[in-house]
Amino acid sequence: MDLLWHKVSEEEKEEIKKQAKRIMADFSKKLDAVRGEIKEGGKDEVNFGREEGGKPVEIDREILLGNAPIKNKDFIIAEKGEW
Amino acid sequence: MVTTERLKTCLANIKKRDKEINAFLELRPEKELLEDAKRIDEKIKEKKAGRLAGKIIAIKANINVEGMNASCASRVLENYKAPYDANVISRIKEEDGLIIGITNMDEFACGFSGETSAFGPTKNPIKKGLIPGGSSSGSAAAVLAEFCDMALGSDTGGSIRNPASICGVIGLKPSYGSVSRYGLIDLSMSLDQIGPLARTVEDIALLFNVIQGKDDKDSVSINSKKLEINEITKIPKEIKIGFLNLDGLKVDNRIKNLIDNKVKEISKKNGWKIKDIKIKHLDLAVETYYPLVYVEFYSATRRFDGRKYGRKIEDFAGPEVLRRVLGGSEITKAEYKGRYYNSALKVKKFIEEEFSKNFKDVDCVISPTLPRLPWKIGEKISVEDGYATDILTIPSNLAGNCAISIPTGKIDGIPVGLQIICDKLQEQKLLQIANSFLS
Repeated sequence: MDLLWHKVSEEEKEEIKKQAKRIMADFSKKLDAVRGEIKEGGKDEVNFGREEGGKPVEIDREILLGNAPIKNKDFIIAEKGEW
Repeated sequence: MVTTERLKTCLANIKKRDKEINAFLELRPEKELLEDAKRIDEKIKEKKAGRLAGKIIAIKANINVEGMNASCASRVLENYKAPYDANVISRIKEEDGLIIGITNMDEFACGFSGETSAFGPTKNPIKKGLIPGGSSSGSAAAVLAEFCDMALGSDTGGSIRNPASICGVIGLKPSYGSVSRYGLIDLSMSLDQIGPLARTVEDIALLFNVIQGKDDKDSVSINSKKLEINEITKIPKEIKIGFLNLDGLKVDNRIKNLIDNKVKEISKKNGWKIKDIKIKHLDLAVETYYPLVYVEFYSATRRFDGRKYGRKIEDFAGPEVLRRVLGGSEITKAEYKGRYYNSALKVKKFIEEEFSKNFKDVDCVISPTLPRLPWKIGEKISVEDGYATDILTIPSNLAGNCAISIPTGKIDGIPVGLQIICDKLQEQKLLQIANSFLS
């Protein structure tokens, strides 16, 4: 593979998807081979969502609106019912 | 005028060399930097300055610094301004560290060579044409080229230690949970850790001491013991080194021999013992790591949908990021979840237990940081060979241990890193052992 960044075409995306599936299937075979040696339940559950406590952060309005892809003077604009 | 003088030196070095190296994605305006430096110098004069006064610090582009571009070196977040400071940044500012700018990296930390940045690869400052390592490529290159005194990177499978090894600087991956990740744009939640890069162990210790500690905003963060900075230069007695058995792993013999000789030399000098140790299933580290990263990265990137901020990741990311997003999407599907992700979690736990067992007998585990020398920028390599670059750094992420890469010699003029791994929360011992190798 060429590691340098480039814009990916739709055809290349399909290739990448196939390649990723193949790699994962190969990795899975290797992990399967040791399944008998590793006890069941011997894993930690992972919570993907980072629980965040503490005081909420105040976000600068200018930065917030500046980051929005579509906006007017006072609001972020988004598709109705999509999020 | 310590800070102002240091800043001027760093800025002069940047002006002279960064066009070629491409370590920085954004620098703070010079006028603002000089004003801040002056303010810190006033505090030094009045003896009211914090612990990082006089230090010039660079920050990896996946860590939020309010008002600066946290792009993750991606077109997806090209114009995204960080709306708040990450916890580590607030701590640095409180201690009067001077943040000079934002460093280049592999796109979304997906990479090990520094080549996948959407804004061009970082170049190796020592060996022209070679990769600098990644993903914290710009941070390591900036430290080496004296564009700053210290830098922050992030390490999910070796992203601090890998470029530190190739650039011949020091890079610390702290124990999982010892540094808050609040404000880090994550690659893989269960493995990510922010850590320092610097040219001396003292500077590593200083920056780590400032950024470590519990944070209510990161539920896995813990209150670890602060380092005794004055003890860092003391050579620890009665150390038993666990020398990692590399049988079955593809490691360059020249690197093996260099590390072997160094360990023997330092052990003899300090009267330390050496024991060969084997971590069972270490050869499966890569196969364990990538399913976890693919799934967690896919989950983390669902927010890059081009609505609240940035652009849609599937439309604007480069090939390595897409490989992980598209691969993650596939293996997240119910029919694959058990087969890939749960198997990987079990092996992760197994490797963690193997390390714990060994740490009952040895103080640290030593190996090369990387199994091979760096390649040329743009050189084609297979995905499997690329992923295997981090085979020796991934295990300490899987186990949650602390680990450091220190420069230990050169092969064909290219620096080679030695990796020291200690048990969780043993950073004091780790840094003292590291310093003994360098003094």
